[in-house]
Formats: sequence, C-alpha cells, structure tokens
Amino acid sequence: MSTRCCLYADSLTNDSKLTVPFPSEKLAWIAQRSLSPDPEPRKGGISKHVSVTDSILNVSWMADEARILRVSVSSFLDHLALVLETMEAFGPPSVSGLK
Amino acid sequence: MSTISVTVMTIVIGFEGSANKIGVGIVRDGTVLANPRRTYITPAGQGFLPSETARHHRSCVLTVLKEALEEAGIQPEDVDCVAYTKGPGMGAPLVTVAIVARTVAQLWGKPLLGVNHCIGHIEMGRLVTGAANPTVLYVSGGNTQVIAYSKHRYRIFGETIDIAVGNCLDRFARVLKISNDPSPGYNIEQLAKRGTRFVELPYTVKGMDVSFSGILSYIEDMAERMVCTGECSPEDLCFSLQEVVFSMLVEITERAMAHCGSQEVLIVGGVGCNVRLQEMMEIMCKERGAKLFATDERFCIDNGAMIAQAGWEMFRSGQTTALEDSWVTQRFRTDEVEVTWRD
Repeated sequence: MSTRCCLYADSLTNDSKLTVPFPSEKLAWIAQRSLSPDPEPRKGGISKHVSVTDSILNVSWMADEARILRVSVSSFLDHLALVLETMEAFGPPSVSGLK
Repeated sequence: MSTISVTVMTIVIGFEGSANKIGVGIVRDGTVLANPRRTYITPAGQGFLPSETARHHRSCVLTVLKEALEEAGIQPEDVDCVAYTKGPGMGAPLVTVAIVARTVAQLWGKPLLGVNHCIGHIEMGRLVTGAANPTVLYVSGGNTQVIAYSKHRYRIFGETIDIAVGNCLDRFARVLKISNDPSPGYNIEQLAKRGTRFVELPYTVKGMDVSFSGILSYIEDMAERMVCTGECSPEDLCFSLQEVVFSMLVEITERAMAHCGSQEVLIVGGVGCNVRLQEMMEIMCKERGAKLFATDERFCIDNGAMIAQAGWEMFRSGQTTALEDSWVTQRFRTDEVEVTWRD
C-alpha cells in the first residue's frame, strides 16, 4: 500500500506535523488506535497528539529540544511503517496488493 | 425434558516479545495448534539492548504470525481473541509487538487481551504439567519469583531483591565470552557438567527473598584472575555458580512450600530448562514427599502459546482489554492481575 505522507518541522519552535492519507476512514482509525495507547518513553519534554480527519491520520508534536523531537518522530515513523505492513499483509483485499 | 449442551471451541492467538524472543502461538481449548518463535542472539560478550531487540522483532513478527496461522491451519476469522504481552519486559520490544496485535485485532474485528507475561508462564506450566495447585518457581533472565495462588491472586511469596537469576548467569557468560547461541544459560549448563572443582562463592538468601548482584560482582572480579592463574577453569566457575544460585532458589522455594503446606512445585521460565536446577529441586521435593513439575524448552522459554493460553483463560472468564487501555508497561507485578478464572 503506497501512501504519500507529508512531514513538516519547525526548527525554531521544535514542533512537527505529519499527515498520512489512508485508503479509507476505517483504516485511518485502525492506525490511530494502534499507535496512540503507549505513552512517550521520555517522561517530559515531548508531547504528541494523534487524530483522524476523514481518511487522514494527523500527528502533531511539541518538543523542548530538536533532538527529543527527532527521536519521537523517527520512532513514530517506524511504528507507522509496521502498521502499514501489517495492514498490507493481513488487511482486506482492497488494501493488500495495492502497491 | 432434554438438555442440549453446545461446546463452542475457543481459539486464541498470543503474541510474545518482551525480551529477545519473538513468538506467536495459537491455542484451542488446551491444545497448542502452533508455536513458532525466533530468538535475537547477540555476539558472545554482548547483551541485547531494547532498540536493536525491537528492530529484530519488527523484522520478523509478520513472518512468524503467518507461520503460526499456516501451522495451525486456521484463518483469521477462526480466531476468537487476540492476546499479547502487556508487560513486564523491555519497553521498545513490547511496543513493537503490541502494535501488531492491536492492528490485527482491529483488522479481523476480534477482541484484544493484554496478558501479564509471568502469568503466561504459570498458565502454560499448569496446562502442560497438570499440576493442581503448585508452589511456582518462576526463573528467567528478567524475573525471579516464588509464587502461590490464593483467593484470586498469584501472590509473590519470595523474589529477588535486585537482579534475576537468569540475568546473573547471562552477565557472567559475557565476562568469559561464552556464546549466546542458543542461549548463554544453556552453554553455562554444558560447561558446568565438566566442572570438577567447587569454588566458594557468596550465598545470599534474605528470609523469603534472594539477592544475586553480590555474587555477580564477586565472580566478575575474580573470574579472569582465577582462570589466568590456572587456579580454576571456566567449567569450575560455571559449575560453582550454578550450585550456589540454584541452592538459593531451592531454599526459598522450600520456605514457601512450608508456609503454604504445599506438596507440589512447578518450575517455569527460561532458567527452568536447566536440568541441574530440576535435579536439585527434585532432591528437596523427595525429602518432603512432594512432587516436582517442569516443562521442556518449548514452553519454559518465552513463547507465544503461553500468552495465548493465559489469554484463553482470561477471555473465557469474561476479560478483554479496550484499545485505549492496551498500553504496555515495563513493570507489571504478578499479583496485580485478578485471577478470575480460578476459584
């Protein structure tokens, strides 16, 4: 399943936004529910918000420092890729095989 | 008047990846249909770190899941519940596996169930051995606890106050650069069989509890020196370390048995594979007229089926985990779970 994400980061405020389009609203919500339950490993200095509008997954970060932001975004992208791979392997026919 | 009873089969799939093993198991009413597993093995002298372990699990979890379904000969729609390890364990690997469990549970429209890793070991041990109500010695790289069931809780009667016995063995293996393939504990056990000298090492039991950090730092300090001077061989050290730490475990297990009036012992967890530990425990059990139960490496070592089995018990007694509550946790005490499936 190919999908065009858009990642934006502000180097002055250490904020970041990510938008990920999904083939359907249902799949976007599945991703949201798989990716939101775990708190950030770091106790402070970072906050992340994952939401869905239509079939787009929206993620926004606020961080105290650039390096903290980098770690969190990088980690999230790994987990997102895992969700997408799982959907491709075990999702409904409309999702799998859609390269 | 006639009664018709319908027995509905319950199939649970379980995901385990809290340490360096990633396993997916499928259980149907007490039968293990599949239990494939992969182990992340580091070079000799190195331990496994959270991020690289998570990367390993991520790279093979979907393959192992496919294997499990194929081996069991079932389709996703046949699954009744998706169980996964909620904790305790290493953060990054736990999250990786939980994400896959959450995603397939939603894709397949099945309820999710977060399972306590320790309880997974206990429930698989009970299933495989048929032990009715044993004193459980749970010993692994991450945990060392003596557990007994009472009034809907698996209560911890004794435990390590610092590191797990498996952690002590694993870290000792690193000092002597003993291979981690298939596991450092296994290789220590093989070397120990060829030991001929017993070397005095500190023995630390504190009431119902044990401590291993002292013996570890002692043996880390003197190992290289003693092997270089030829005072003793690595085999002698492996033998001596096992004799001492296993004696400590036998002592606290016996203390718990005496406290509970128990006549059964069940050993679970990776260190439970060790035949010398089983031998020593058997001697103590014989003296007390008690029975020893142990499982083989398929179930002693972390595996997916044990999570599925604990999940099966929990699901059948009405438990499920809502997605927003499905966060993983590095610390998760065995006695935090309400054991709703036993009287």
